[in-house]
Amino acid sequence: MTVKWLMHFQPNQGTTLTSQVMAEACAVAESFPGVSRDGRWRSSMTFYRAVPRDQSLPAPSDLPRDLIGISLHDLPNEYLFVMRSQRLILRAHSSVQTVMDKLQSYKGRFFINFEGLQYKWGDFKLRIGKCLYNPNEALRGIVMEVEYLPLSSIDKSQRVMEEFYEIWREAVASKLLAGQFINTEVNFVEYGLGDSYTPQHTAVLYGMCVVQVIASSNKNQ
Amino acid sequence: MEPQQQAGSGDAPPKQVAQAMDRLGRAARLIAEIRLGADRILEALLVSNENPRLSEKAAELTLGEEDAMRRHFLDLRTVGKQLEDSGVLSGALRSRGNSWGLHMPLVCPDGAVVAYAWKRQLAGQAGASAVDRARLALKAFSDQKRRFFPQLEDDQLNRSNNDTIKFPPTKRPRLLHRPTQSPNIDSTEQKPMLADILKSIQTEAPGVTISTYQRLEWSKRAESLALDQPKEQILSNLSGSFNEVAVIELVASGVFRVLVSLHPAGSTDPDAVAFFSPNEGGSYLHSRGMSVHHVFKHVTEYADKALQYFQSSDPNKALSHLLSWICSHQSLFTKNCSKCCKLLAMDKSLALLLPPVHRPYLLNSKDHDQDFATAYHIGCSSYDV
Repeated sequence: MTVKWLMHFQPNQGTTLTSQVMAEACAVAESFPGVSRDGRWRSSMTFYRAVPRDQSLPAPSDLPRDLIGISLHDLPNEYLFVMRSQRLILRAHSSVQTVMDKLQSYKGRFFINFEGLQYKWGDFKLRIGKCLYNPNEALRGIVMEVEYLPLSSIDKSQRVMEEFYEIWREAVASKLLAGQFINTEVNFVEYGLGDSYTPQHTAVLYGMCVVQVIASSNKNQ
Repeated sequence: MEPQQQAGSGDAPPKQVAQAMDRLGRAARLIAEIRLGADRILEALLVSNENPRLSEKAAELTLGEEDAMRRHFLDLRTVGKQLEDSGVLSGALRSRGNSWGLHMPLVCPDGAVVAYAWKRQLAGQAGASAVDRARLALKAFSDQKRRFFPQLEDDQLNRSNNDTIKFPPTKRPRLLHRPTQSPNIDSTEQKPMLADILKSIQTEAPGVTISTYQRLEWSKRAESLALDQPKEQILSNLSGSFNEVAVIELVASGVFRVLVSLHPAGSTDPDAVAFFSPNEGGSYLHSRGMSVHHVFKHVTEYADKALQYFQSSDPNKALSHLLSWICSHQSLFTKNCSKCCKLLAMDKSLALLLPPVHRPYLLNSKDHDQDFATAYHIGCSSYDV
């Protein structure tokens, strides 16, 4: 798998996030020469909470209470679970969602959808998307995924991605968007992940990013 | 099939020559594809012979390959016809009056390409200097002399007996080990052996893993890379005997995979070079192939020029210089441009963000160790090298 970075948009203090910002971010991407639109993308995330079988007994302490399930746009046949407290990631076939529904040991509490536009720029792939809270389609945030196709090693691609991030930030600042994109920093070693990039890395990035998005949207409301 | 852009007599000679060079390149690529296809068919036959259970699968593969080969042959026929029409095979342009001093590249019946086919750039520049042309003429003619008149070489080089030079020594010591031979006055010009070159590169660049393969071995490995990328870096796979080595693979973990082909097999003459991403795999992975990624495409194009330069300026050490130069690319994604001091730069004409892909390859003096330490973006290169 090729290396990805994930950023979310942090609006300036006192401003609210609107769909206009999404359009502006896409315009920044399209303003670079050589960028071509490459279709749409869509991922989704479910926050599960454990359902205790017997209300009177205390829940066993070794089972996680919260679970995040992620379906990624580039892996339609798979479903990933992230247990943030235990720092575990599980990769399963997408049919595991039916199993979860039948078992009812964990119930989906709320859902977040990511959807937006995809761009190709030389050896880079950019995906800018809205982060929508499912029941009422409220806009919670804007995320951007950047992928560098030639490399799969996180270590070796670090400098390239950093420079790209700088170039992107400068472009966004010069177009006077009301806020900035913040990169999601994750210590992959804590999750037992190595230098070679995998879908598990993406799952961890999304898990961390969403937490930050929700925190910043709660602060601004 | 309608030949595109048929160069009529109305086109300027440089354009005709450029098109002819283009077609020759295409023909070379088709021939490489055909060779690979033949290898695969042979392999399918061998496999089905050893393992009768797999004979159905082998038969399928053979049929598929046969289709592909048929198409390649048809394409080759078309390209050949175009070349013939443009006078490449018969030297027709030579006799025309207004050829601007340029000649169409001439392909002799034995396959050698003669006269101004040595350097692509010349095809467009009618005003190339006499010194350049003389240098390139010398190189082309000495290549041909080596190929067709090996007995005229110096005794100690004795290229026609290449295949008997074995390492380590075998039961038939027809030739002595060159390094221990009694030195002549010209012993400093001795060609180093393949094993020695590879060993010294390994010590010079410990971050790069070097492996050698025979041609068929490499095609199998290229296919297997498409299916399953090895998770950890494989150990260096140096062939036991260096006679049949036709492909050298250099891998810098997480940075590049480079293929260098040797012609003839077992010699120390590099023939072609290509850069790929370490996560690429498939039958297009060979020294005349092209990566799907822009960064590696540009490095490969530049590497072609470097190879030509090494071959013309120091043919005996061309392989050593080339391998050292390739190893300097370990810092491809970390070393800033020596001119603008940034890593990524927007190339306006290509509309791409690229790291510095041009690493100058000029050699300073014969005995000074090159370190090829500088790197430039395409737009920052101060000279067209």
